[in-house]
Amino acid sequence: MLTLLLFVQPHAQQRGQGGGQAAPQTGGRGQGVVVGQFGGQPVVQPLQRGADYRDTISPTDPAMNGPVPRMPDGHPDLTGPWMGGGSDQDMESDGGLKKGELDALLLPWAKAAKAERSKAIYGEPYIYCLPMSVPRVNPYPWKFSMSYTSKGLQHIYLLHETGDAGAHRVVYMDGRKHPVDPLPTWWGHSIGRWEGDTLVIDTTGYNDKFWFDAVGTPHTEKLHTIERWTRLSYGTLIDDFTLDDPGAFTKPVQMRFVARIVKPTIDLMEYICAENNQIGIAGGYLNKDTASQIGIAGGPPQNSEKK
Amino acid sequence: MRTNLGVLLAGFGLLCLTVPVAAHHGFDTEYDKDKVITGTGVVSKIEWTNPHMHVYIDVADASGKVTTYNLELTSPNAIQRQGWNKNDLLSGEKVTFTGHAGRVVESRGALDSLVKVSAPKQEIFKGERPADLSSK
Repeated sequence: MLTLLLFVQPHAQQRGQGGGQAAPQTGGRGQGVVVGQFGGQPVVQPLQRGADYRDTISPTDPAMNGPVPRMPDGHPDLTGPWMGGGSDQDMESDGGLKKGELDALLLPWAKAAKAERSKAIYGEPYIYCLPMSVPRVNPYPWKFSMSYTSKGLQHIYLLHETGDAGAHRVVYMDGRKHPVDPLPTWWGHSIGRWEGDTLVIDTTGYNDKFWFDAVGTPHTEKLHTIERWTRLSYGTLIDDFTLDDPGAFTKPVQMRFVARIVKPTIDLMEYICAENNQIGIAGGYLNKDTASQIGIAGGPPQNSEKK
Repeated sequence: MRTNLGVLLAGFGLLCLTVPVAAHHGFDTEYDKDKVITGTGVVSKIEWTNPHMHVYIDVADASGKVTTYNLELTSPNAIQRQGWNKNDLLSGEKVTFTGHAGRVVESRGALDSLVKVSAPKQEIFKGERPADLSSK
């Protein structure tokens, strides 16, 4: 079970040790295997998450705990592709928090908004093929694409097989700062730096349109995220994630997400989500003519919060 | 063509062939987990599309009235990664299926299992594609 963390400030990082005997244990979202220690806490890979993980290496495969591959400049190779490593169904449990722990930090308006959304899942932008944004990761492979030029590592692109709606997320590694007053966007403005072997991504400038998860955990344009990505071993990538949004939460929240390496034969494939999105037809929420236009039109209809 | 169509009200469980979008975002909102649909008919269209594949099957009742079932699978990428390809099921082939009905539009269902009438023990698009399955 992922140890549950809730800190006002990001906790100090320690370089973890992959390896050691895999030890099955139960907890969190089901059975998992301890694949190492990091930040003073055990790192757990789920044993099974249905079809989501069939394209990954098994957490009990010795290859999981192999050495971290490195780039020619010595930095860890974070490429992947990976599965998991973010929120999706429910950020609270996905991020290793206890039930009610995240909700307890929501401001009253945000708590009410989440309650409304939970009754109206057809309001979720992602199901209309809009970007899922940070820290969400759906059950498809994704990767860091580390982009080197003659000046070294200048950008890191995050590419999702689906879930980014074709809008690559860029992390600037060239030392620039955040713009002073950016136009809010789906992926915000991300700047990255290395702290030892950990890639730290600081992002501001998000819009307030995306949902963190399928249950509608909300946020505002004041959202500021810090991701601390550490490749623990060949098969495990950790995101120690700080969510800071004074517009929606009473204080910053610390979560941990764990990604798993996919099989060597797996790479990202084409995925044009808006091609034939029929969400809402079976449930009677949308008719076929309406549904076929939603993804292309760019979002849910005005009555998306319908109960 | 002789066909069968039954709507079984049974706690069949969610033995989903794949993971339709509604399974990811609330299966119960789109589909009725207690209403199992099954039928035998002719494949009229296969959409290898995103976000998810759809197989359309024309099923005629005893009076000859044809209902087209539009059944959702998972993404074509997930199906292809299991080794299946576009030649493994073609329009015009006779098949038997089970699935879960749409909550409102019953014929717009979620596919659970699909077999060709000519090979009733071989489920199509389920699990790894058998190495001995000949392509057409």
